[in-house]
Amino acid sequence: MKRIYSIVLLLLLQSSLLFAADIRFTASVSKTEVSTTEQFEVTFAVNGNGDHFTPPSFTGFLVVAGPNVSTSMSVINGNSSSSMEFSYVLIAVKPGTYTIGAASIVANGKQLSTKPINIKVVKGQAAPQNNNAAASQQQQQQNGPDSRVTMRRPGADISKSLFIKADVDKKSVYLGEQITLTYKLYTRVAIVGSEPEKLPDLNGFYSQDIKNPDQNVHWRTEVFNGSKYNVANIKQTILFPERGGDITLDPISFFFVVRESAAASDDDLFGQFFGSYNDVKYRIKSTPVIIHVKPLPLAGKPDGFGGAVGHFAISTDLDKKELKSNEPLNYKIRISGKGNLKLIKPLSANFPADFEKYDPKTIDTITENVNGQSGSRTYTYLLIPRHQGNYTIDPVKFSYFDPSTGKYVSLPTKPFQVKVNKGLTENNVTAYSATDKQDVKLLNKDIRYIKPDDGSISKMGEGFYGSGLYYSLLGLGPLLFLGALAYGSWYERTNSDIVKVKSRKASKIAAKHLASAQAQLSAKNSNAFYENVFKGLYGYLSDKLNIDAANLNREKIASELKNRQLDEPLINELLDTLDLCDMARYAPVSGVSEQQIFDKAKNMINDIEDKI
Amino acid sequence: MIRRILCLLLLTIAPALAFCDAGTSALFKKGNEQYAKAQYKEAITSYQKLVDGGYQSVPVYFNLGNAYYKNGDIAPAILYYEKAHKLSPGDEDIKLNLQLANLKTTDKLDEAPEFFISKWWHSFILTFSLGTLAVLAVLSILAGSGVLILYRFTQSVSVKKASFYTAILLVFLGLVFIFIAGRQADYFESHQQAIVFSNSVIIKSAPVHTSKDLFVLHDGTKVEVLEHNNDWIKIRLANGNEGWIGAADVRDI
Repeated sequence: MKRIYSIVLLLLLQSSLLFAADIRFTASVSKTEVSTTEQFEVTFAVNGNGDHFTPPSFTGFLVVAGPNVSTSMSVINGNSSSSMEFSYVLIAVKPGTYTIGAASIVANGKQLSTKPINIKVVKGQAAPQNNNAAASQQQQQQNGPDSRVTMRRPGADISKSLFIKADVDKKSVYLGEQITLTYKLYTRVAIVGSEPEKLPDLNGFYSQDIKNPDQNVHWRTEVFNGSKYNVANIKQTILFPERGGDITLDPISFFFVVRESAAASDDDLFGQFFGSYNDVKYRIKSTPVIIHVKPLPLAGKPDGFGGAVGHFAISTDLDKKELKSNEPLNYKIRISGKGNLKLIKPLSANFPADFEKYDPKTIDTITENVNGQSGSRTYTYLLIPRHQGNYTIDPVKFSYFDPSTGKYVSLPTKPFQVKVNKGLTENNVTAYSATDKQDVKLLNKDIRYIKPDDGSISKMGEGFYGSGLYYSLLGLGPLLFLGALAYGSWYERTNSDIVKVKSRKASKIAAKHLASAQAQLSAKNSNAFYENVFKGLYGYLSDKLNIDAANLNREKIASELKNRQLDEPLINELLDTLDLCDMARYAPVSGVSEQQIFDKAKNMINDIEDKI
Repeated sequence: MIRRILCLLLLTIAPALAFCDAGTSALFKKGNEQYAKAQYKEAITSYQKLVDGGYQSVPVYFNLGNAYYKNGDIAPAILYYEKAHKLSPGDEDIKLNLQLANLKTTDKLDEAPEFFISKWWHSFILTFSLGTLAVLAVLSILAGSGVLILYRFTQSVSVKKASFYTAILLVFLGLVFIFIAGRQADYFESHQQAIVFSNSVIIKSAPVHTSKDLFVLHDGTKVEVLEHNNDWIKIRLANGNEGWIGAADVRDI
């Protein structure tokens, strides 16, 4: 490359020698697009003697060597000329676009400076765009242009006899569909030198240069607009549009040195004989081309579509169907065909979760030629089953868009069954524990499922806390306790006097006896009836009048009743009834019925209750 | 006597627990079915009807949050998770889903570290929900009173001793529950929070439009509400930053 450029430079210098008078100071680089860590050379040349050379600042670059100064002196036909070159070897550090500023020099008492040069630095691999095509212009020995086409002198309009045409095979494409772009040089003049001025950026495209194994330029003749031209391909690139819309391919521009017969030479025999000529430098630009890029249709877009556009086939392969655990297993996915193979996203192959999976090894056998990019890409997954069992490797989903039919195509692959036998335990990775224990693998994080039970739906602001019910229930406990306390003390107070209690309860006991008497009455058991009535009355009186059973007799009862201001007839009646009951217990009585006795006893108790 | 208390308790608590008529229950079930069929939009509508009808319960808020989450609306999902969390602060499911939802918000805020004692204290008072605490408090106080009454009337010395200490313990427990419930209610009242609902909102230094821009918040971020001023709310972030936000940009938890 360096060699080629020194030739270019030499040619330039020679031409400048012909225009001997003016001194030119130029800057050139061996490459305009370099990758990081790639060396390239910057040369500042002056065709004369210069001093006070000030180099520009090489920001973004590292100076590896330089400045290397070389001077040359030549004497031709008594004209002496000299030239100087200052060259630097640089390395780009970071990707981006950098400018090498202007260098300045003083020559012949004039301050001269160079034009700044833009350097595009890409990451990693060297940029594919190199100037092979242009450089090979220099070596046209074998396939030289047809000299019959070459005009001895170009017309007034150089663009008629020397131009670059950008040719694309398609102008309306789908996103990701490949286009072949060819820059063709049409010439009818003799070209002695060329130098690329600006290579197209090809923004909006992923580009891949077609490398020509033959460095030579193949000239052919073509008829264009009724004229015959010598035609050569300067550069061929495969483009993959990366966004939709109308994208303009920016022009390529070249400097060509065209050898023209000197105007004066027609009538100059000497000149005619020797063919005196002038070398003229022209700047030739291609015309911009607009590519209409259609977005991929949304309808029918399959799940997991990875952006493949073209025509493809897929095959999967598994090297073993049965193996022991902890042994490696190779799973191959091969995608072959024509299209944007290099832009396909890695396929999301689903392997059993218990398999150890490593990142796939990608092997490309892709060729670029005039028909586009084709070949195959192979992903090789290394899998290591860690546990015995029967596993299924799911089929891979691969789909591509076929621009010729305008439809998506999904390609099926087949699933594989793998039988994993128990391997040797000493090979087990989890060797630190005797058993094959392992943490439960968290496959995915997701939210917990909804609660099926509606719980206690309540109206807003109707919570139990703070409600009236809450406070009243809280207060209820202590209130109950206080009530119990009050009840307790009242109960004790009223029950402390046995006499009062007895007298209060007397009628109850009597009522009990009378009730049983009534039962006997209906059972016609007169003996028991009288006894009950007797006991009822006596018991009642004993409790009511506070007379213990030992002292309970007629006299005592009569005196006690008198003490309590009970009227005489009632007392007498009571005593009569008592006597009657006493007697009736042992001998039958006549004159009064048992019912009468019962009613009497009841009435008397009621009377006494009323009075006392 | 004890039987009568029990009857009373049942009578009073039962309506609070069983407050749901057939309509709300059916709506809830419909939402669950839609969720199970991954019809999240329809499930949201069903649950939202319940919430808009003024009903609330932990499962309703939780499921609504889940449906919003699955539908990709993170801000409302967080709002309803927070509401469910407020009703049942000890629920692990809610905490986990809230964490996962917070992972999806734009703003990453480092929480200002809390003093460990106050952290313990908050987790202690937030263990049970307010409703649970209230029921526990009422039950303990009632049981304590019952045992005290037993203590008053029993004749046996051993029963008297045992009932006395049990009663003291129960009443004490009841008081503790009342206290915790009070603290929790107070905590939520003083920690009024809100969720940012606008996709991108500028926090101002003062409650006027012309004031300086302090920072930008995005939807789903939880803020603490400090004070209101017309249409502006003073907020504090988890990392301690304070500022003013338009009242329309946030929704209270």
